[in-house]
Amino acid sequence: MLAAGRPATQPPTDPPAVSLAGVTRVFGVVPALVRVDLSVERGEILLVSGPNGAGKSTLLRVVATAISPTYGCGSVLGLDLLRDRDQVRRRVELVGHRTRLYEDLTAQENLRFACDMHGLGRSGVPTALERVGLVDVAGERVRTFSQGMRQRLAVARALLRSPELLLLDEPYAGLDAEARHIVDDAVRSMRSEGRTVMLATHDVAGPDLATRTVAMESGRIAGSGSFPERILS
Amino acid sequence: MTFLRQSAAVAGKDLRIEVRGRYALGAVLPFAATLLVAFGLSLGPDRVLLQRTAPGLLWLAVLFAAVLASRRAYESESEDGALEGLLLAPVDKAAVYLGKAAAVAAQLLVLEVIVMTLVSALFSLSLGGNLPALAAAFVLGTTGLAGVGALFGALDASARAREAVFPLLVLPLATPVLVAGVKATAIATSGTGGTLGSWIGLLVAFDLMILAAGTLVYGYLLED
Repeated sequence: MLAAGRPATQPPTDPPAVSLAGVTRVFGVVPALVRVDLSVERGEILLVSGPNGAGKSTLLRVVATAISPTYGCGSVLGLDLLRDRDQVRRRVELVGHRTRLYEDLTAQENLRFACDMHGLGRSGVPTALERVGLVDVAGERVRTFSQGMRQRLAVARALLRSPELLLLDEPYAGLDAEARHIVDDAVRSMRSEGRTVMLATHDVAGPDLATRTVAMESGRIAGSGSFPERILS
Repeated sequence: MTFLRQSAAVAGKDLRIEVRGRYALGAVLPFAATLLVAFGLSLGPDRVLLQRTAPGLLWLAVLFAAVLASRRAYESESEDGALEGLLLAPVDKAAVYLGKAAAVAAQLLVLEVIVMTLVSALFSLSLGGNLPALAAAFVLGTTGLAGVGALFGALDASARAREAVFPLLVLPLATPVLVAGVKATAIATSGTGGTLGSWIGLLVAFDLMILAAGTLVYGYLLED
């Protein structure tokens, strides 16, 4: 019970899922991100749009801690991008346009290895394969897979972990309509669980799942708005 | 998951890929066989000369195999950006390093058995002179070469001029292993005591140094 006259304690507010301040990333002498300020609230589905070379992939890779900012600072889920890299990596999953799969391992073996590397039990592997429609080819080597099947397997790997923040980089590239639905379902599932998704795509006819869009151009944030407002149009 | 289980998972994955593709085995065995036959023919029937040169040729083949196997261990990581997956996995990067080194060492040991059989047949090299010492020399030498290869393979995987960079980094550092391996093999196969202990000691010291350095710096090599 509160003492008389003592103000009621405010419920603690979670820090934003992503908070970047003045983040710049330079490759050699080429700037890929230029003074990016961005805040993504928890539970948001943020669509990052823009043409090829706009800096979308670099932005996602910085948030995933795959690369460090050259200048600027930021936090992910309240954790510092540089100091707390290991903790960020436990809670964030990046599905890039490179699928990070082993060609000479089967679909099942790829997921099992991912489980081993993330300290997860392997019991979720069949379910994850079923969710992306790859059960029938679970024992086949990834080398024989089409780009769409690889992308689906990469999504299955992400789903194994139930990450708090899912980063999808061009997840629709090379996918047929059925596979696009699988990605959309994964995003909807994340949304219903209150998790955060950042989805980068150059496809202006991108998903209608986003709660907010951010447009990028030449490494800068060119504008932002709530969905269904389409910034690029 | 414990450190050792993480290492075993990485080693198991690399060995499974090698068994399926037989990349290193397919490239090294023809080279080793050609090298040994060519030298055997050029040196002539002088049995003493053949026996004196056999340890050097044997270790040259092992060194070449180590370079190839180490390169291959990282080629599979860079095919579709898988190395980034290892970087982003919340595992001790030292476990990844030791797993990769163990996989390379296992491949080399299999190759060495085959190559030694060839050398024994072609060069009349007696492997039973001091078999425990011979085995120790090869296990220790292989560990050292695998440690170097697994460490610099990570650097090589991200280098733009990877074809040229890897041998430049690995070969100078592998020289102590090569020298000690050749000397220890020569002494062990001749059945004499000699300075065997010193060469084995050098191999042990090298292994400890490279594995310690690798576990300490490997994570930094992977990071951006």
